[in-house]
Amino acid sequence: MDSQHAIEIQGLCKRFGPKVAVDHLDMILPTGKLYGLIGPNGAGKTTSIRMILSIIFPDAGRLSVLGKASASESKDRIGYLPEERGVYRKMKVKAFLSYMATLKGVRDPKIGTKIDEWLDRVGLADVAKKRCEELSKGMQQKVQFIATVIHDPELLILDEPFSGLDPVNLRLLRDLIKEQHAMGKTVIFSTHVMHHAEQICDHIVMINGGKKVLDADLPTIRASYPIRSLLIDPLDTGADLGPLDDLPFVVGRTREETAWELTLDGRIDPTEALRTCASTIPLARVELRRPTLEDVFIEKATSEGTDEAELREALRAPDAAALEAEGVTS
Amino acid sequence: MIRTLRVARREFVSTVCTKGFIVGIAVLPAILLAMVVLLPLLMNEKSPKVDGTLAVVDRSGQALPLIEANMTPKRIAEREGAAGEVLEQFNQQLKEKVGQGAPEGTLAAAAQLNELPTIVVEPLDPDADVEVAKDSLLEGSATDGSRLAVAVVSDNAITANEEGEFGTYELFIRENLDDRIEGNHLRPVLRDAIRNARLTAAGYDPDTIEALTRVPRVRSTTVTEEGEQATNEAMRIFIPLAFMMLLMVAVMTGGSYLMTTTIEEKSSRVVEVLLAAVSPKELMTGKVIGQLGVGLLLMMVYSGLGIGALSAFSMLSFLEPITIVYLMIFFLLAYFMIGSFMAAVGAAVNELREAQALQTPVMMVVMIPWLLWLPISRDPNAPWAVALSMIPPVNSFAMLLRITSATTEPVPTWQILTSIGLGIVGVYFAIWFCAKIFRVGILLHGTPPTFRTLVKWVRMA
Repeated sequence: MDSQHAIEIQGLCKRFGPKVAVDHLDMILPTGKLYGLIGPNGAGKTTSIRMILSIIFPDAGRLSVLGKASASESKDRIGYLPEERGVYRKMKVKAFLSYMATLKGVRDPKIGTKIDEWLDRVGLADVAKKRCEELSKGMQQKVQFIATVIHDPELLILDEPFSGLDPVNLRLLRDLIKEQHAMGKTVIFSTHVMHHAEQICDHIVMINGGKKVLDADLPTIRASYPIRSLLIDPLDTGADLGPLDDLPFVVGRTREETAWELTLDGRIDPTEALRTCASTIPLARVELRRPTLEDVFIEKATSEGTDEAELREALRAPDAAALEAEGVTS
Repeated sequence: MIRTLRVARREFVSTVCTKGFIVGIAVLPAILLAMVVLLPLLMNEKSPKVDGTLAVVDRSGQALPLIEANMTPKRIAEREGAAGEVLEQFNQQLKEKVGQGAPEGTLAAAAQLNELPTIVVEPLDPDADVEVAKDSLLEGSATDGSRLAVAVVSDNAITANEEGEFGTYELFIRENLDDRIEGNHLRPVLRDAIRNARLTAAGYDPDTIEALTRVPRVRSTTVTEEGEQATNEAMRIFIPLAFMMLLMVAVMTGGSYLMTTTIEEKSSRVVEVLLAAVSPKELMTGKVIGQLGVGLLLMMVYSGLGIGALSAFSMLSFLEPITIVYLMIFFLLAYFMIGSFMAAVGAAVNELREAQALQTPVMMVVMIPWLLWLPISRDPNAPWAVALSMIPPVNSFAMLLRITSATTEPVPTWQILTSIGLGIVGVYFAIWFCAKIFRVGILLHGTPPTFRTLVKWVRMA
């Protein structure tokens, strides 16, 4: 297999009893890229990641991780932040981090200093001697992130890293991830919140129902999904929108919070449609609406027979539900 | 391998360096010590100080004087073990007490004099109505609790009736009368009075009869090649029990820690973080080794204390050094079997509460030796004992009991080796089975599993 690729997956399958969690997944992750693995809860993201890490074993298919046939041989070079993460509640923060580092094969006598530096960077300099149970959830999450990167891994696998974080810490963590990426590390970032992926990823792999539905870089995705709708906000909120509906290129109108989204006929030039709408009724705002990753995902998934409403629901599901829905329950 | 040892080290250190463990390790010897030292003190056979009367309806007409003669303060004191002339016998008693090693001192004996019960015999009319007499024992009656008991001696108690049958006596006592008053004084006095009256009536001298019929209980002496020594029947039973308890405590301590730490790791979701660094097999092996260390530490502490205690009482000869080696071997067999199962249970459940049902087989295995202890220590080479000592996972306990009990006819070496061999096979299968449950269970959250799900997991893994 090619050493240029951090991860190569071919025909990966995993079933749990009657449930097919991952269905013939193929994926190539080149070294140094930041890949987003996206999909609703229960799509098979965590199961795929667990197989990549040799935590569970595939029923069929081949995979190579950092040039090795199994992650068991390269675990020390991988940093994994699981979705279901925890700490030893009674252990002190620094002892926990240094235990995790030794498990990852770190023998650096200066590991203590390195831990202190990291704690300082995430604003937790004063918790080193505290027990993990005394930390808030957000603080624990930052400690877990340090545990993920403390051994300076080449490959980072982050499963829903932002779940449960407040905006400040979310931004801090996002910057740290970007920084790791800038240092040349390969990153897989799994999330069901598509705009998180949109913000930081080079490349997106979408999976749904255990199958890959899309595998492309962001500009390509944007290019291949042209603008097909307008967002309008009438000046008079009670105005009759009938004239707009009567326009020949408008095929549908849906409420989008305070505004309306007009779906356009594929053959019309969107800029021309915008001009026509603006001259039909007085508008406070009118804009071309780029398809979001979510729209792309919904289109991809519905074309394979999944119900749209169900999908939108799954994409907005709270994080807690992810624990139950994702992967396996007995 | 290095990662396994790191997991083991953490497991060991985080278990041993807790207050709970240190207190826990001291609790068992403390309880044993308390049982040996405090229980005899607490089990005071002396009657409490009670003042009251014993009403006697003597229908035989011959028992009353003897009852009265035996209920004097002096006789009461004699029966309580402290003679009337305490001061005269002070030194004599001191010698006796210290000689017996009994901790209750002479101070207690001296104080006894003032704390003896006083029971005054109150003769009632031989034709008195027993029902009326009984009513006087009720709370709030005219006697106001000062009447302790009513004894009715039947008319043929001393001289047989026409059919040649002897009668006896009836005893009615008030509520909340201390059982030691009844057992130490009322019954003996009434019984002796009737017996002695019968003897006298038949023309015998009660004192002569007493002297003629008394044969003190003796202790046997065991004749061995090393010389004669007092037979210690208790030690014969106690040594196997001690070994079995040691084995059980060490196995169960390691095993239950293994289960709780696994549940803790699983429920706090730290386990997936760990699994990013170590494989499930390394994690389970590390934990099993770590708790093996805890079990071994416990065994060393307790067997050290036990050997110390035995040598302090110069009873080390009861202990064969090879038994310690067997203890170690059977500990390893029992620990790996039960420990790996406990780890699997810990991995399978979501919280401690759910583990109870799955623990039942372990509890059964642990209960069996208690049932076996006495039968095996009596008859260590019985066919059923031989069979049990071959069947894992009970074999370790049964074989150790047999080895420590079999003093006359040692357990044949081939049986010990076979038991160890079968134990190793059992351990192999237990680990194989449990490792699969562990691997599947450790990442699953949701409905608590049943045995059927566990078996399904083993097939799945």
